[in-house]
Amino acid sequence: MISSYVPILVLFVFAGLFAGAFLGISALLGPKKKSHAGDSIYECGPAPVGGARERFSVKFFLVAILFILFDIEVVFLFPWAILFRQFVNEGMGLFVFVEMAVFLVILVLGYIFVWRKRALDWR
Amino acid sequence: MITIHHYLILSALLFTLGLLGAVLRKNILIVLMSIEVMMNAINLTFIAVSRYLRVMDGHVVAFFVMAVAAAEAAIGLAIVVSLFRTRQTIKTTDWRMMRG
Amino acid sequence: MSETIFFYIFAVISVGMVLLMIFQTNPIVSALYLVFGFFGVAGLYVLLSAPFVAVLQVLVYAGAIMVLFLFVLMLLNLRKEDLVYDRLNWRKIGVGGVAILFLGFLAHHFTRIQIQPFFDLPENFGTPEGVGRLLFTTYLIPFELVSILLLVAIIGAVVLGKRQ
Repeated sequence: MISSYVPILVLFVFAGLFAGAFLGISALLGPKKKSHAGDSIYECGPAPVGGARERFSVKFFLVAILFILFDIEVVFLFPWAILFRQFVNEGMGLFVFVEMAVFLVILVLGYIFVWRKRALDWR
Repeated sequence: MITIHHYLILSALLFTLGLLGAVLRKNILIVLMSIEVMMNAINLTFIAVSRYLRVMDGHVVAFFVMAVAAAEAAIGLAIVVSLFRTRQTIKTTDWRMMRG
Repeated sequence: MSETIFFYIFAVISVGMVLLMIFQTNPIVSALYLVFGFFGVAGLYVLLSAPFVAVLQVLVYAGAIMVLFLFVLMLLNLRKEDLVYDRLNWRKIGVGGVAILFLGFLAHHFTRIQIQPFFDLPENFGTPEGVGRLLFTTYLIPFELVSILLLVAIIGAVVLGKRQ
């Protein structure tokens, strides 16, 4: 039972080994020459003004937040998709279908709200 | 031999660590992450008990807790971002004007 | 036997990563530690024969929620002077003592629980089929309520995020 997870363990071990190996190789073989001019920000000759890490506009985070919420919806859809045929064979198909339809209609209401508020516009 | 007590004490430990992080840290993002850790500890308790009672109800509850955690993270981060826009800080003690 | 070894490995990973997460100054580093902590908890779910919840743990917590955290952290783009430095003081030591007492209280009550373990699990224990069957029949009302929760969260996020 536990032994059926061995491939996943092997995957993780290999992923860790590869990541570590490549980081290690580039640290060993890469050039380590550090110069003050090389590390500074390139600004066509004149001395740089301010830092390179300017603040981004935070408005794009709304897309990420909405992604999470709809992601959870998909997670609930996943076992439903697996089980739907079994439920149909047991004669409960309509019931389960209506159940998921109600779930989705409520979330589509949210999607319509997002659409009407223009929350997904990249402006 | 791993008994249910191992899992229960481990989840109590994780819950306490999350609680400490949520209470002691002043960085609002670490506070939110600590709350996620606390929810994880609760999930671990549910899964452990349902394993040893041989019922799957705990798995369903863990499912719901995950949905609540995602909604909480989404709204919490939205609040953090909109407060950061106006106050330019992520320190919880700088947000005293939220008192009613 | 291997179960014992794996339990301690995953327990050390999850507790250690959560500890590292709490004591970081930079929230980006602590978010990365927490991803590993969630992986450790997912391993514990696998040991507890809950593969579906373990996969969801990786997908939802490590994959979605922590990515959202990192996304917001990168967008906020905290400078060095924005970082919050927490110093140790007597109040915190006191809170830590209370937390240890709380942990002892929990452990004391947890060790008294007597559950006869079942070793022969049903065939579909913890699989998507088994969990989903319960979710769509017994837990029908909570399932529908989750959609209302998500709807409220969507509306809240849009209202908070679109305010200019």
